[in-house]
Amino acid sequence: MSEQIHELIRKDYEAGFVTAIESETIPPGLSEDVVRVISSKKGEPEWLLDWRLKAFRAWRGMPEPGWAHVNFPPVDFEAVSYYSAPKSLQDGPKSLEDVDPELLKTYEKLGIPLHERARLAGVAVDAVFDSVSVVTTFKGKLAEAGVVFCPISEAVHTHPELVRKYLGSVVPQRDNFYAALNSAVFSDGSFVYIPKGVRCPMELSTYFRINEAKTGQFERTLIIADEGSHVSYLEGCTAPMRDENQLHAAVVELVALKGARIKYSTVQNWYPGDKDGKGGIYNFVTKRGVCHDDAHISWTQVETGSAITWKYPSVVLRGDNSVGEFYSVALTNNCQQADTGTKMIHLGRNTRSTIVSKGISAGRSSNAYRGLVRINPGAEGARNHTQCDSLLIGDASAAHTFPYIECRNSSAVVEHEATTSKVSEDQLFLCRQRGLDAEKAVSMIVNGFCREVFKELPMEFAVEAGKLLEVSLEGSVG
Amino acid sequence: MGDFDRQAAAALYGGADAGDWFSGARRASRAAWLVSDWPGRKTEEWKYTSLDALESGSWLRVPPHASGGVDHRIAGLEADYLVFRNGRFDAEASRVEPVSGLQIHRLADAPEHLRERFGSIASGTANPFAALAACWTEDAVLVHLEEGTIAPRPLCVVHLGDDAAAGCAWAQRLLLVAGARSELTLVEHFPGGAAAFVTGLTEIDLQPGAQLRHIRLQLDAEEAVHIGGVHVDLRDASAYRGFVLATGSRLKRLDVRLRHRGPGADAALDAVYLARRSQLVDLHTTVEHESPHCTTREICRGIVDDEARAVFNGRILIRPGAQKTSADLSNRNLLLSDRAEVDTKPELEIYADDVKCSHGATVSRIDEKSLYYLQSRGIAREEAEVLLAFGFVNALFAGVELAPVQALMDAGLREWFGSRAPEALT
Amino acid sequence: MDHGHMLSIRNLGARIGEKQILKGIDLEIKPGEVHAIMGPNGSGKSTLGYVLSGREGYEVTGGEVSFRGKDLLAMQTEERAREGLFLAFQYPVEIPGVSNMEFLKAAVDASRAHRGLEAFDAVRFMKLARETCTRVNLAQDFLKRGVNEGFSGGEKKRNEILQMMLLEPSLAVLDETDSGLDIDALQVVAAGVNSMRSPDRSFIVVTHYQRLLDFIVPDVVHVLAGGRIVRSGGRELALELEEKGYAWIEREVV
Repeated sequence: MSEQIHELIRKDYEAGFVTAIESETIPPGLSEDVVRVISSKKGEPEWLLDWRLKAFRAWRGMPEPGWAHVNFPPVDFEAVSYYSAPKSLQDGPKSLEDVDPELLKTYEKLGIPLHERARLAGVAVDAVFDSVSVVTTFKGKLAEAGVVFCPISEAVHTHPELVRKYLGSVVPQRDNFYAALNSAVFSDGSFVYIPKGVRCPMELSTYFRINEAKTGQFERTLIIADEGSHVSYLEGCTAPMRDENQLHAAVVELVALKGARIKYSTVQNWYPGDKDGKGGIYNFVTKRGVCHDDAHISWTQVETGSAITWKYPSVVLRGDNSVGEFYSVALTNNCQQADTGTKMIHLGRNTRSTIVSKGISAGRSSNAYRGLVRINPGAEGARNHTQCDSLLIGDASAAHTFPYIECRNSSAVVEHEATTSKVSEDQLFLCRQRGLDAEKAVSMIVNGFCREVFKELPMEFAVEAGKLLEVSLEGSVG
Repeated sequence: MGDFDRQAAAALYGGADAGDWFSGARRASRAAWLVSDWPGRKTEEWKYTSLDALESGSWLRVPPHASGGVDHRIAGLEADYLVFRNGRFDAEASRVEPVSGLQIHRLADAPEHLRERFGSIASGTANPFAALAACWTEDAVLVHLEEGTIAPRPLCVVHLGDDAAAGCAWAQRLLLVAGARSELTLVEHFPGGAAAFVTGLTEIDLQPGAQLRHIRLQLDAEEAVHIGGVHVDLRDASAYRGFVLATGSRLKRLDVRLRHRGPGADAALDAVYLARRSQLVDLHTTVEHESPHCTTREICRGIVDDEARAVFNGRILIRPGAQKTSADLSNRNLLLSDRAEVDTKPELEIYADDVKCSHGATVSRIDEKSLYYLQSRGIAREEAEVLLAFGFVNALFAGVELAPVQALMDAGLREWFGSRAPEALT
Repeated sequence: MDHGHMLSIRNLGARIGEKQILKGIDLEIKPGEVHAIMGPNGSGKSTLGYVLSGREGYEVTGGEVSFRGKDLLAMQTEERAREGLFLAFQYPVEIPGVSNMEFLKAAVDASRAHRGLEAFDAVRFMKLARETCTRVNLAQDFLKRGVNEGFSGGEKKRNEILQMMLLEPSLAVLDETDSGLDIDALQVVAAGVNSMRSPDRSFIVVTHYQRLLDFIVPDVVHVLAGGRIVRSGGRELALELEEKGYAWIEREVV
């Protein structure tokens, strides 16, 4: 892992290329008509169009949240195109043989070969390009186990009862400004259903790619793990380098029914903008899971990209004895700003949650942990432990910790600890005296700092993570 | 939610038009108060603190004058006493032995250099009640400890309220300017008494090398509302050691703001808050490191019983350039009842890299292992609970070196635990 | 250039901030020699080690240092290390999360690459590290733990010796390696050092007490006081110091 982190803090953004492909992009602007166009392009049933329109009307009346510790000029929601798809995919995802070779090359270049016998042999991939899914691999093998893994636009037709039951059940349309926006215009994303008692035979993953200029990506992911089932899901994200900011407002909903277990890992490497803060993705994401009795949801995130990150993967511990976990590494450099953390809402008895957050701030960046641990009166015997550490590299960076703890049950035990420190001169000197150069020393120290979180990443992903993780801390080591 | 008549509140004390030297400041504060946003659930600084007790009561009366005839001293504490009754200075009850280098002025006769500082240390606070306190300021003491003066006795400022002052409202103000290398122990004592609404501001200016021991005993009446502020500026190499005990009152909000404004300053703050019945106690602390090489250590502990609620917010802000800072904050809370609630938010906001900062917060009930240990030694469970809860806060009392103050706090704690309190062994 | 020397220091001066600590050090060390540097607290003993290894904040104000014929002061800290200069710290720092093994491998690889040698393969290095662990009486699980993380004082010192053994330096500077060690730990450390003695490797043993020199017998003893070497001699000088204390030297110097 150490080599990969070394890469991570050394290299320039390597996913910044543009794929030259003919796309159909609807004109910028947002209105009920745009919502109707998106819905009709996907051939959606009436109920889903109504659902979108309801969300759109709600969104129009909602204010943009201003509480996060981030600063950016107002987003012009009229300047964004809400749907873009390669022309070759107009009739929806096809089999691998039919996919435009340019698209396959794109993913090859990103280290995500889509051929099933390629390197990611143990991982099923759903590749989402701008607003549509390119292809989903291993569908056949997964179907044998009864696992459904497909674009959500397809699931609307193939599993309408599940989509209708659970869409918006975890993140309601009006949950927040960006979730409402997503509910109105969501494009593609993945749908996963793991039947009762099934252990998903392979890792599932979605790879999100924004390509077209002036577009936003609004994916929607819904994962339902039926009673006693297990699934590990991974997502990766990249985008070309562009001078303008691009909007990414996703919603992810996880449902872990009785005794189910969902492990959700993210390596977020959206384009972070250049050294002076020009360009980059605005990453405004709502991720939440609900745990029923004895269920377990674990979020692991490695956040290195985006100009602005606004993201709080959360767990509602509704069922008794359920478990929520959040492991996070957030690295900001240059002018990046991150306000990220989690919410653990304890409703059931003997619910447990663990939060481990590692923030690294370099350059002129700002990195905030924001978390909420809420113990409701019925959460008898609830437990939470939170550890939040910040590492500062350079005197122009900022690190913040804003943990909210609300405890309404006397049998609960809630513990929060946070530390802030810098890479110490003593540590650097020791490494250099032993023959390591300063950059290697810093990467090693940063890697050590993040170890607790990295060990939560699934093995299959860890191999690819190094490639997806490439972000530059260049120039931050004096 | 009820209504607090802000216009009526602004007009309660007519001092803005009194024509004394402070009138201008009162007028400015009145204007600020009238345009301030009323704190609500969406106000971050008041998110967990309902002003229901203030809004549902009727407080807007000026209390009657009273003076003399009560014992205001802390038993056994040899100190200079400055006594306020129902918000007004009581010269008859006050006793100050002259000390060279220690000057005590009332608002009206304060010298120019103190007038300038009065209100300036608390300036910049977003709390609208600071403006109300300034608007209501009729009386105050302004204390100047001259350079190099080492006060031989503690200075004890007592705020008494009579039964006749129930339902009344007033402001409490204090300014202390501690000159370079001076030393003092300051005790602020609110022994309770009146179910009144007090909004206060205590301002302290520690000049280079000054050392202050500050003990604030806020033992308010059960039905009172107290919204107070303590603002301390620490200059080069000055040292502040603060202790707060907060009990009583239906609604209590205390903002403590410490600002390191010179290199090498050192601040230590211990606070204990106790809430029971339907009380709400809210302690907001802010430590701002503006200069390098400063240190802060803060330990706050609370016990919450019945349907009471405790709110803690401990913010540590390290401004750019405040390198070599060391700051540490710990907040621990004990819940004694299933209906009690604790909302805590320790915050770190850091804009310098060569710093060592940490904070920790816990909420729990009494540790089962410790209970079991005591039970295994033959102590009944309920008694063991009280013993452990008592010990939880008593550990901080031990840091207050004045034995008479310790005795007073110990008695207060026993009273708080009522019949469940352990036998005094001393 | 004088290839007959391991280390040649001429009139070395150094300061920290405004404070001049070293005020003209002269020292010649030949391959295979062990030099002890003794002196009262604050005499500049630790500073010498830091200056030789190029620590930031220690500013050289004058003089020259030649290390195996090369200009030591012109090199970066890590280059000096790769050239074969090792400093055993008086207070080894902790690096949480970075395993000892990972750290050692990276350090050894860097030195070997510098010398044009291939990196050890993981299996071979693991074996070597384990054997070395045994030699300094550290349990093998120390290799998995974070660098010095939660180690006792004695364990940290033995970890320094472990690193020295794996890095095989030409010149090792041991900065008060004996401080805070009980007699057993001291013997382990000394045995480690003695096992490393060879005709082409030199040591500078910095110590306040002569006790360590009972176990690591020096060829030359220097007394450092007030930023200068005020006296040099054989082993007997250490014993004399032990007997008379440092005040005697300081008096003589003034």
